[in-house]
Amino acid sequence: ATEWNVSVWGKRRAFTEHIEKLAELVSEKTGGSFTMNISYGGLSKNTENLDGISIGAFEMAQFCAGYHADKNPSITVLELPFLGVSTLEEEWKVSQAVYEHPATAADLARWNATLLMPSPLPQYNIAGVGEPPRTLKDFDGLTVRATGGIGEALSLIGAVPTSVTSEEARQALDSGIVKSIAFAPHAHMSFGVMEVAKWWSDNLNPGTVNCPVVVNTDALNALSDAERDALLGSVDEAMEYYIDFYENQTMKKWWPLLEEKGVERISYNEERLAEFREKAAGPVAAKWIEDNTARGLPAQELYDLVISTLGR
Amino acid sequence: MAIKASVLADDSLLSRLDRGLYRLETMFGLVSGLSVFALMILAVYSVGGRNILNSPVRGYVDWIEITMPLIAIMAVSYAQRDGVHIRMDILVSRLRGRWLWIAEFVTTLLVLLLVLLLIWGSWAHFQRSFDFAAPLWSRDSTIDIKLPIWPAKLVVPLAFSVLALRLVLQLWAYGRAILLGTDNPVAVPLIEDAATIAAREAEAVTGREDT
Amino acid sequence: METIDIGIIVSLGLLVMVVLGMRVAFAAAMAGLVGLIWIFWAKKGYDPAQFGWALTVATKTAGQVPHSKVASQALSLIPTFILIGYLAYYAGLTKALFEAAKRWIAWVPGGLAVATVFATAGFAAVSGASVATSAVFARIAIPEMVENGYNKKFAAGVVAAAGTLASLIPPSAILVIYAIIVEQDVGKLLLAGFIPGAFSALVYTLIIVGIAMIWKRVGPPIGGFTWKERFVSLPPALPIVAVVVIIIFFVYNPFGDAWGTPTEGGAIGAFIVFLMAVYRGMRWVELKSALLETAKLTVMIFTIIWGVLIYVRFLGFADLPGAFADWITSLHMSPMLILICILLAYAVLGMFMDAIGMLLLTLPVVYPAVMALNGGETVSAADSAFGMSGTMCAIWFGILVVKMAEFCLITPPIGLNCFVVAGVRPDLSVQDVFRGVAPFFVADAVTIALLVAFPGIVLWLPSLAG
Ligand code: NA
Ligand code: NA
Repeated sequence: ATEWNVSVWGKRRAFTEHIEKLAELVSEKTGGSFTMNISYGGLSKNTENLDGISIGAFEMAQFCAGYHADKNPSITVLELPFLGVSTLEEEWKVSQAVYEHPATAADLARWNATLLMPSPLPQYNIAGVGEPPRTLKDFDGLTVRATGGIGEALSLIGAVPTSVTSEEARQALDSGIVKSIAFAPHAHMSFGVMEVAKWWSDNLNPGTVNCPVVVNTDALNALSDAERDALLGSVDEAMEYYIDFYENQTMKKWWPLLEEKGVERISYNEERLAEFREKAAGPVAAKWIEDNTARGLPAQELYDLVISTLGR
Repeated sequence: MAIKASVLADDSLLSRLDRGLYRLETMFGLVSGLSVFALMILAVYSVGGRNILNSPVRGYVDWIEITMPLIAIMAVSYAQRDGVHIRMDILVSRLRGRWLWIAEFVTTLLVLLLVLLLIWGSWAHFQRSFDFAAPLWSRDSTIDIKLPIWPAKLVVPLAFSVLALRLVLQLWAYGRAILLGTDNPVAVPLIEDAATIAAREAEAVTGREDT
Repeated sequence: METIDIGIIVSLGLLVMVVLGMRVAFAAAMAGLVGLIWIFWAKKGYDPAQFGWALTVATKTAGQVPHSKVASQALSLIPTFILIGYLAYYAGLTKALFEAAKRWIAWVPGGLAVATVFATAGFAAVSGASVATSAVFARIAIPEMVENGYNKKFAAGVVAAAGTLASLIPPSAILVIYAIIVEQDVGKLLLAGFIPGAFSALVYTLIIVGIAMIWKRVGPPIGGFTWKERFVSLPPALPIVAVVVIIIFFVYNPFGDAWGTPTEGGAIGAFIVFLMAVYRGMRWVELKSALLETAKLTVMIFTIIWGVLIYVRFLGFADLPGAFADWITSLHMSPMLILICILLAYAVLGMFMDAIGMLLLTLPVVYPAVMALNGGETVSAADSAFGMSGTMCAIWFGILVVKMAEFCLITPPIGLNCFVVAGVRPDLSVQDVFRGVAPFFVADAVTIALLVAFPGIVLWLPSLAG
C-alpha cells in the first residue's frame, strides 16, 4: 500500500476541491491501496510547500506562484495583469500549456517537483469600504491589498498596493490599513471581506494568481504503473469537478450575496478600461520579460505561448 | 527584571574563552535589541506615512519578516550563556556536587547534538534560497516587494554556530567540574534558589527606579 | 507501529526531558526532531539502509522551522511589548502612577492597598510581564504601606497578587503567544483580556476593603491629601494613559475604524514611552541595557516558540492532536466537566512550571480537543456545547488558561510572584508572603469560577469588535 502526504493550507474550500476529488478517485481506482492524507497546514507553512517537496517531507502540495516569485519565476507569467482570460477552462488550458513548457519543467525540477495540475481562479476583483472608485481616476491614492502583477497594474493608475497576508486582509480593512482588497470571489467570502464590503469592481478584471499542485518527482517515479496511471488518469476528472464546483456552487452563492448585502457593483466604461489595459498590460509584461530573461528563462517565448494559447 | 544567573570567572583558559565568547554574544544581543528599536521606528514611520502623508510604506510587512530572525534568534547564545532559557529545575536543584554536573553534562550534550543537526537543517534551508547564478543571489523572495530572503535565513545557522561553541565550552566546564569535584565551576550559569534570583531581579529594577 | 503511538511515546519522552531539567525549548525541539526521524524511518519499514534518508528529511524539515515560524508580522508584537516594559522604568512611570493612585484613594479603608492594585493595573497596561511588575511594586508600595501601619504580610500579599494582572490586561506577551499557537486574531484576544483583568482588579479591591473594614488594624485609611496635591500628581502619570488609549484605539475604536494593527499600536506606545524616558534623562548607557534585556527576554520566548513548533510539526505528521480530540469527544462526560478537569490539570501543572512553557507545551494537543468539545472551529453558537461560536470559544479558553497560569504565580509551592516579593523584602519569608496572599488566592478561584460560569464577561468586548 502507498500512502502520500499532501500539504495544503487554510480550510477545505472551493480552492482545494480538485485535490480532495483526486484523492477520492485514486483510492477508488486502486482499490484503496494508494491513498492520500490531505493535511490543511499540519505539514508545512504555505510559503514553504515547495521546500517540503524538495526535501521529500511530503509527496504532493499546492502553492501560489506569487508567494515567492524567485522560487518559480517561470509560472509567474500566468500572473501578469490583463492577459484577458475569461473562463476557468481558459485558465486551465493556458496554465497547462505553460506547465508543459520545458523551461517551466526545468524551473520546477530544481525543487524535485513535477507540475500536476493548476487551481484555476477567476479574475480577481476589488471589494472595499468607503467612497467607491467610480472612475479609474478615483483609484488615485486608494490603498488596496493586492500582490504580484495585479498590484503593479493597480499602482500604474495611482492605487497604493499594501502587503498583508490573506488571513490578515479583513483586519487590515477594519483597521483602515487598506480601503480595498483584491481577491477571487471564494476568498472574498471565506476571508470575511463580504461582511463589511460596500462596493465591488464588477468588470475591472485585472488578472488572477496561479496556484499549481505539484508532486515530488522521486515519489512519482516510485509509484507502480497501476498507481501512476490511476493518479495521472484522474487529473482531468478532478479538474472538471473543480471547475464545476467553482462555477455551480461558489459563484451561485456569490451573486445573490452581493445582492443580499447591498454591495454596489461598479462597472467601468469600456473605453476607459481599454486605456487602463494599454497603460498597465504592456509595461508590466515588458518588465517581466526583461527581468526573467536576465534570469536565463526564455521569457519572451513563455509570454508568447500564453498569448497564442489564448488565441490573441 | 534583569534575568541573569551568576557565572563565575577566574584566569584559566576556559574562563578567558568564556569571557571572549561572551563579548561576541553580547554584540549579537545588541544587534537584536537594536533591531527591535528599528522595528518600532519603522512602525511609527509606517503609521505616520499612511495617516499623515497619505503614502504608506511599500513592503512594510516584507521588512518585518526580514528583520524578525535578527530579533528572535540572533541572541540565542547570549541567553544560553546567562542561563535565561527557562527550564524546570525542581529536580536538578536537589542534586549536589558531581551528580549535579553529570546531569548538566548529559542534558548539555543532548542540546549540542540537537543544535548541530539544526545547523545542518537551517543551512540547507538557507541554501535552497540562495543561488550564485541568480540576480541578487536570490532563489526565494518576499511576497510584496520581492526582497531576497537568504540573508534572513542565513542568520539562523550563524546564530546556532555560536550557540554550538557556547555549548562546547559549557561541556568542557561541566566535564572539568566532574573531574575536580568542585562546587563552584567557572563559565557556567549556577543554579540558584528562587529567592536569590528574585532578589537580584528586584535589585536591577530598583536601580532603574532611582534614575 | 501506528504514527499515533509514536506521537504518544515521543510526547512522554519530552515530559521526561523537561522533568530532568533540560531547557524547555531545546527539549521540545529534540522531541520533535527525534519524532520526525522516527516517523520517516517507519515509513520506510525501518530499513537500516534508509535511516540516513529519514535523518536527512527530518533534519531538513526541522531546520526550516526556526526561520520560517519567527519571520511573521504578528509575532513582532512580542519584542515591542517587552521593550515598552523596560523603557517604562526609565521613564519613571511606575512611581508616578503609584503616587497619583495613593493621593486619590488612600482615604478608604485599605486605601493604600487599593492604590497599589490600581497602580499595578495601570502599569500592567503598558507592561507584558507579571513577575517584573511585582518586583517593581514590592519596592515602591510595601514600604509606604508598612510605614502607615499596614500589616506587613498583608501588604506583601497585595503586591504579589496585583502583579498577576499584567498578563491579562493588554498588552500581554502571553496572550500574543496563545493567539499565535492557536492561530486566532491577536487583537481580539488582547481586547478580551481587558474586562477580566479589570474584573480581577475589582475583586481584589472588594476583598481588600472588606478585610480592612473587618480588621481595622490591617489597613487603616489615610487622609490629608488636599485637592491641589491630588491634581498635581496627575500629569506625571499621563503618558501611561496616553499609551493605553493609543493601544486600545489601534485594536478597537468604539467610535469608528480602528487606527491600525495591534503591532502598530504597540510600537507607537513604545515610542511615546521612549520619548518620555529620554526626557527623563535616559541616555545611551541606559538605552543599551534596556535593549540588551529586551533581546534576552525576547530570544528566550522565541526559542520556546520555534522549539515547540518543531514538536508541533512532528505532531502534524503523527496526527496526535486529531486523535486526542477524537478521544476527548468520544468520552461520555459533559463537555463542561471535561473543561473543568482540563483547567484543574493546568492548576496542578502550573505549580511546577513556568506559565509560557506550560502553555506552549500543552496547547498544541489540548486546544484542538477543547475546540472539538465545543463542536469544532466553525461551529455556530446555537449548535455548540458551550453556547458560543468556535472563534469565541478560542478566545474564552485563551483567557481562562492565561488566568490559570497567573493564578499559579501565587500558589505554593513555587508561586514565583511570592518569591520575588520575599526576595525584595529580606524581613519577609516566603511563607509570610504566601500567608498574606491567601485571601487573593481565594479571590482568584472565585474569579475563575465566574469566568467559566459567565463567559459573557470575557466575550462582550471582542464581540463588539465584530
Ligand atoms: Na499587560
Ligand atoms: Na506556582
